[in-house]
Amino acid sequence: MALLQISEPGQATVPHAHRYSAGIDLGTTNSLVATVRSGEAVCLPDEEGRSLLPSVVNFSNAQPLVGYEAQALQTSDPLNSIASIKRLMGRARQDVIQLGDVVPYEFVTSEGSNVPRIRTLAGDLSAVEISAEILKTLVRRATQSHGGDLDGVVITVPAYFDDAQRQATRDAATLAGLNLFRLLNEPTAAAVAYGLDRDADGLIAVYDLGGGTFDISILRLNRGVFEVLATGGDSSLGGDDMDHALGEWIIQQGGFTDIDAKLARHILLAARKAKEKLTTAESAEILIDYRRQKWSGTIDRQQLEELIQVLIQKTLTACRRALRDAGISKNDIGQVVMVGGSTRVPLVQSMTGEFFAREPMCDLDPDKVVALGAAIQADILAGNKPDSDMLLLDVLPLSLGIETMGGLSEKIINRNTAIPVSRGQDFTTFKDGQTAMSIHVVQGERELVSDCRSLARFELRGFPPMTAGAARIRVTYQVDADGLMSVSAEETTSGVSADIVVKPSYGLTDTEIESMLRASMEHAREDVELRMLKEQQVEAKRVVEAINTALAQDGEVLLSKSEIAQIHEHRDRLEAAIETGSATELKQLIKAIEDASEFYVARRMNASVQEALAGKQINEVDI
Amino acid sequence: MNPVFDIDCSRLHAEQQRLQAIYHPDRYVGASERDKRVSVQVASWVNQAYATLQDPVKRSRYLLEISGAEIPDDATTTSDTEFLMEQIELREQVESCRHDQDGLQRSDQIGTGLAHRADELARDFVSHFEAAEFVKAIESSRKMQFIQRIQQQLSELQFELEDL
Repeated sequence: MALLQISEPGQATVPHAHRYSAGIDLGTTNSLVATVRSGEAVCLPDEEGRSLLPSVVNFSNAQPLVGYEAQALQTSDPLNSIASIKRLMGRARQDVIQLGDVVPYEFVTSEGSNVPRIRTLAGDLSAVEISAEILKTLVRRATQSHGGDLDGVVITVPAYFDDAQRQATRDAATLAGLNLFRLLNEPTAAAVAYGLDRDADGLIAVYDLGGGTFDISILRLNRGVFEVLATGGDSSLGGDDMDHALGEWIIQQGGFTDIDAKLARHILLAARKAKEKLTTAESAEILIDYRRQKWSGTIDRQQLEELIQVLIQKTLTACRRALRDAGISKNDIGQVVMVGGSTRVPLVQSMTGEFFAREPMCDLDPDKVVALGAAIQADILAGNKPDSDMLLLDVLPLSLGIETMGGLSEKIINRNTAIPVSRGQDFTTFKDGQTAMSIHVVQGERELVSDCRSLARFELRGFPPMTAGAARIRVTYQVDADGLMSVSAEETTSGVSADIVVKPSYGLTDTEIESMLRASMEHAREDVELRMLKEQQVEAKRVVEAINTALAQDGEVLLSKSEIAQIHEHRDRLEAAIETGSATELKQLIKAIEDASEFYVARRMNASVQEALAGKQINEVDI
Repeated sequence: MNPVFDIDCSRLHAEQQRLQAIYHPDRYVGASERDKRVSVQVASWVNQAYATLQDPVKRSRYLLEISGAEIPDDATTTSDTEFLMEQIELREQVESCRHDQDGLQRSDQIGTGLAHRADELARDFVSHFEAAEFVKAIESSRKMQFIQRIQQQLSELQFELEDL
C-alpha cells in the first residue's frame, strides 16, 4: 500500500531490508544477467566464468538445455535447437514466414490461438515459453550467486518494440515466475550504464551493432529524464556480415573450390578469429586445414578494413536517417554510446567517431552495457537507493489508433506521447437495446488499418439496454509505464461498467498463460504453495505496517472515529491470521482491508495532490 | 487563481517532472496492484496536463473551457473569408516549395513567416481572452490551430526535401 506512504523523492520512507534485484538483457544472440553489488553493477557469470548466455534452447529432452550446450547441438539437431527466438516474440505466423531462412523450424498453429508454435520433441512451444526458459536459466544464476530469491527484475527490450512484443516479453517473465519491475528500452539502459543520467542535459546517440542486427537510437536527456526521439537501423546487418566478407576473401586467396557446408563453416570461424585478433593486433595469421584443402596466409588490419568499410558505411546511412527522424543535426549530439560486440572493431569506432565528430564512449564492455544499465535501474526500483532521483520517462514508440468506418485508423494516442497516458472517448449505441460493442485497436503510423499492426479486439459487453443513441459509453484507453495498453469502458448515464473480453491479435490470452503457468508448476506444486504463502505473509505484514504508519500520521485528521474503528477491525483480523492463515485466506483478508480503506487512500491522495499543487506553482507557473 | 496564457514553459516542464518524481509508477513497484493502478492514473493526469498546457493551441482551448466559454464542435471551420484566403495562399506557398530548386531555403523563410503569424494570433487571443470576449477568443484559437497545421505540413515537406 505504497500510496499510504507518499513521499517526496530523496525523503526517506520507512527503512526496509536491502532488496535483491537484477537486470536482464534478453538478447537475440546472447542474454545476460547483472546485479548491483556494493554499489556497483556487475554481470553474473556461470560456473565456468562466462557472462554471456547464448540465446539458444534445445528441447530434445524432458529438461530443456539452454546456452552453450544448446548451441553445440545446433548443427546436429537444428529442429529442436531454437535460436534467435526474440525475432518471433509477439509475432504471427505470416511475420515468421517473412523472416525466411532465418528460422528453419517447423511451425504449427493450433485452434483457438493466434500464436505460432514451434514443433519440438518437448511439444509445440510458443516464443514466450522458449524465452521463459532463457530467463529461468539466468535467474537461477542470480539466485545461486545470491543464495536467495530475487525480489524483482528489469528486462530490456528494443526501443522500437510494439505493444505485442512488449506484452510477449512480459508474459515470458510471468511464466518464468519473475516479478517484473519494468521493461526498459535497451538504448536507455546503455545510457544509464554510462551514468549519463547524472550528466548535463543533451542529446545522446546509442549505436548498437550486434552479431546480426544494427540499431541506432537518438535519446534526449532532460533533467534526469530520458526520452527516445527516434530509432532506426537494419535488422540484417551485423558482425556476421564482416565474417562473411572476410570469409569470401579467404576463399579467393586460397583458391578454394568444392565448398561444402562444413568447409564454409570452418572458413567463417577462421575469419571471425582473425577479425577478433585484429581488434588489438596489426596482423593475423589464418590457417585453413580441412581434409585435403589447406591454406595459410596473413591479413593485416588495413586489408580487413577495406573489406568491411562498406558495411559500416551502411550503419552511418541509418544514423543519418534516424537523426532526420528526430529532427536534429549530427552536431547536436553530445554523447555517442557504443553497444554490441561488433563495436569492438577499431574501424567501427573511428568511423562512428568521425561521423558524429566526437569520441564514442566505449569504456564498458559493449556486450554487457545493456544488462549493467538494467541492473542499475532495477536496484533503484527495488528502493535500495532512496536518494536517487533518476527517473526514466518513456514515450509511446508507435501511435495507437482504432479502426473506424472504411478501414481507416483514427489515432487515439500519438507516438512520442509521454507515458503513462490515458485517453477517453465517448461512443453511443446505434441500435435499440444494444448491450455490446467491439473496438479494434491497432498500432502504427499509417492511415489504413491494413497497413498498421493489429493489437487486439476488445469486446465490451453488459451495457444496460437503452434506445439507440441514448447510451453514453465512455471508453478509456490506458497505456502504462511499460507502453502496454489496457481498455476499460463505462456507460456513464447508468454507471455500469462493461465486461471486457480481450482478443489479442498476436499475443497469448490470459487463459493460455494461466494454463502454461499451471503446467510449469505441476512438478513443483508444494514449493509453489509455500512460496505463495511466504509472499502473502510478507505482503500482509507490509499492509499492517503501512496502515499503522498512515493512521499515526493523519488518521485523526482525515477519518471519523467509526471509520478508524472499521479499519482497525480489518487490520486486527489480518494481523491475527498472519501466522496461521493459508495463502488464500491472507489474500482475501488483504483484499478486504484494501477495499475497506479505499476511501482513505483516496483522501490521502487528494490531500497529497493538493499539497503538491499548493506549494508553489500556482503563483510561479501562473496557470 | 487567475489563469493566463503566457507561461514560462521551462518552469512548466520542471513542474511536470517534479510531480512525476512523486507519482510515477516507478516509485510504486513494490506497492499493491491497486496502488499501482492509482499511480498510473495520477501519472497519466500529470502527463496529460503537461501536454495540454505546453501546446499553445491546446492551452488556449483549455483556458476557454475552464472559463466556461462554449466551444462549438466544428472547430475546424472559420467564417472569416479573408483568413481563408490567407490559408489557401499559405498552403500553395508550402506546396510550391516541393518542385522548386531552392525549395528548402524558401521553406525556411515561410517557416519564419508562419512563426510570426502564430505569435500575432496568440497575442490576439490574449487580448480577447483578457477582455472576456470569448467568441472572438475562440476565433483566434481556431486560427492558431490552422497555422499550426500548416506549420506541421511545412516540417513534413522539409523532411521530404532533405531526403531527396
